[in-house]
Amino acid sequence: MVAFPYYPIGNSLYNVALSLFIPTIFFFFAGATYRIGRYLITYHSPLDVNPSMPLRGKVSGGEKIKDLVNTVANSSKVGAKRKPITTIVGLLMHLTLILIIFLLAQHMIFWAYYIPPYSALFPLAIPESAEDGLLALTMPGHPTTTMAYTFVNDIWGPLTVILNGQILTYLLMVFLAIYLAHKFYALAERLVIRAGDWWFFLLLFIDVVLGFLASSHIPNNVTWYDNLLGAHILVAEIIIATLPFTRGFHMFEFWFGKVREWYFMTFRRGAK
Amino acid sequence: MSTTITQQIDLEKLKQAIDEVVYTQIDSTILYYVQSCVNCKACEAGCPFSADGLEYSPVNKAEITRQLVRARFTVWGMTIGRVIGGAKKYLKLDEAQTLADYVWHCTDCGSCMFVCPMAIDSGALIELMKQISFKAGIIPKVYKELEDLEVSEKYWDIKEIQDIWNGLINKIGETIGKSVQLDKKNSEILLYSSLYEALVYPDVIIKTAKILDMLGKDWTFMSKPLGIRPPIGIVIGDSEGSVEVMKRIYEYFKEINPKYVIMTSGGYDYPTLRYRMHEILKVKPNYEVAHITEALAKWYEEGEFEIEQLDEVITWHDPCQLSKRGGVIEPPRVLLKALSKKFKELPNHGVNTLCCSGGGGSCSLPSTIENLAKMIGYTLDESDKKFLEDRVKSLKNAGKKKIEEINKIKPQKVLTGCPVCKESIGFSIDYYKADSKVYHIVEILADRIKVKGK
Ligand code: SF4
Ligand code: SF4
Repeated sequence: MVAFPYYPIGNSLYNVALSLFIPTIFFFFAGATYRIGRYLITYHSPLDVNPSMPLRGKVSGGEKIKDLVNTVANSSKVGAKRKPITTIVGLLMHLTLILIIFLLAQHMIFWAYYIPPYSALFPLAIPESAEDGLLALTMPGHPTTTMAYTFVNDIWGPLTVILNGQILTYLLMVFLAIYLAHKFYALAERLVIRAGDWWFFLLLFIDVVLGFLASSHIPNNVTWYDNLLGAHILVAEIIIATLPFTRGFHMFEFWFGKVREWYFMTFRRGAK
Repeated sequence: MSTTITQQIDLEKLKQAIDEVVYTQIDSTILYYVQSCVNCKACEAGCPFSADGLEYSPVNKAEITRQLVRARFTVWGMTIGRVIGGAKKYLKLDEAQTLADYVWHCTDCGSCMFVCPMAIDSGALIELMKQISFKAGIIPKVYKELEDLEVSEKYWDIKEIQDIWNGLINKIGETIGKSVQLDKKNSEILLYSSLYEALVYPDVIIKTAKILDMLGKDWTFMSKPLGIRPPIGIVIGDSEGSVEVMKRIYEYFKEINPKYVIMTSGGYDYPTLRYRMHEILKVKPNYEVAHITEALAKWYEEGEFEIEQLDEVITWHDPCQLSKRGGVIEPPRVLLKALSKKFKELPNHGVNTLCCSGGGGSCSLPSTIENLAKMIGYTLDESDKKFLEDRVKSLKNAGKKKIEEINKIKPQKVLTGCPVCKESIGFSIDYYKADSKVYHIVEILADRIKVKGK
């Protein structure tokens, strides 16, 4: 009679996934260098034809900063007015995604392992589920180990009832499903839809589902858990490695585009 | 899809045009516009042509450029993309017809850039399509005819055109009570006008001259226009022809050597003459090109004159090229606030102004084009007529949105600063029977400016 069933440690997708993390990062940087390099090679600086503009006057420092804020906020403001549903779903999807990727307690441990200073953000950790949330700062429970306590002793307080991995994941799945539906709608309208559109969303959707299944222990079996978690990390690695070639790269380029728009509108006033 | 240009498409010529344009015009900006679009379709909400059909939304129109660029400049586009889609080296006949249709459903108004979360200027990508289209000879004949006349300067051989221009000079003289100084060198101000403005709103030019005269400015006018609406090549995709015309304009400006070139038009000619001409010719001007509202706002703020107030609700339609492309948003407001305490903003204004759909690449009201064609002795053929009919449809669709927002604030007067906006909004006001009237701001200001001490 065996007290515990045999568990083949080191023989799951989890280990494969972990060992592929560094190569993934390498691919990502190689791709990003290629993408940015192309910009640098084809760049030529614009000619400033109007160095002094007496009729137009100077723009003060305060106005320039106000312009920058407006530039970044304008698309969301106009979108919320003219296309409220897609804009609000889009904004919430981004917010949910950012919270999950960067502040979910499990993900934070992962990031901190590779980038140790990341641990400075631990007090912001979002617990995996509402039950863990009960152990939050304002509702202290009695954890059995200090490690668990550290990760749920967060600043979110009662908010952890909604600000937890499970609820955020449900929301994210709904938002991503709306996005995918949006793509089908575009297809039905015979509008252009690119491979990068459904590929990125599909991978993201699969990845969120895998992460959800693993962390919820569905099915409740340790081998399944390791494989699901491994698959979750593997899909994330595919996303990261291919980021420089997909729409996902907009998380870096967004800033560049907006600053560029601001520069042209505020300093050069309208030159393209 | 409606095909507005029915002349024969020569696919070989088109191939050559695609190569010439795509290979020569790629730079980091275009590359960014091509590869950073996330296909979120937010730009759809900014484009006046989305009302004509979702296929006219900026991202969808610009996709043709994206595909052509990907096929040449991305690893994916050069390999799998060509098989599974997303990249095209050349276009088939039906795709070429789509291109010909799409390019005339963009006024290069810039709205898409401000609405796009990635700040992508789809108008700039569509402009490349327009250049391809022009090089391949796929262009409404009437536009080609007008541009040929402009580039060759032969418009000035047409007696009717000379009469219109000389008549304008005479009327300015009558209004100010003395003869107009023509082509005077080293004046403080060169009052710039195109033939087009002389045709559609001579009163605005005359009243601008009246204001300059009242303010005692040292100004001069042009003895002949520098083109029909130069450079037409910019809006019809003729990059080489437009350079010819820009060289001519620059030489004239340089020769006259004014401190300010002041124009009443806030259409595509504003950012073109202010920025683009100098960037393309790589010259730094000694003069400042300004819209009349910039000059008047500055002089008003410096206390050169007062404005007698109106007791009416007035509003301002920001011309796209003046506000979004030109960055002139504040100056007209200085004047409008002085003009009426009841100045109200339209719900969408500034960089988010709704385009009237008449400007930029669409080249004004079809009826004006018809008049111009008649004047130069050109007979519109069936394809021209079909093309102009399609333009009316877009004007009605875009005009509907504009009138809806005008009706929300119910102004007695809608003021603006561009001949085409004035015409297009006037068209919509008539068509939808709105209660407002549209004016160029100078038309109202000229009679309400009180020069201090006079
Ligand atoms: S708004 Fe910008 S990113 Fe979104 S589809 Fe349009 S061009 Fe692409
Ligand atoms: S520039 Fe204006 S007309 Fe052209 S695609 Fe963009 S929004 Fe539409």
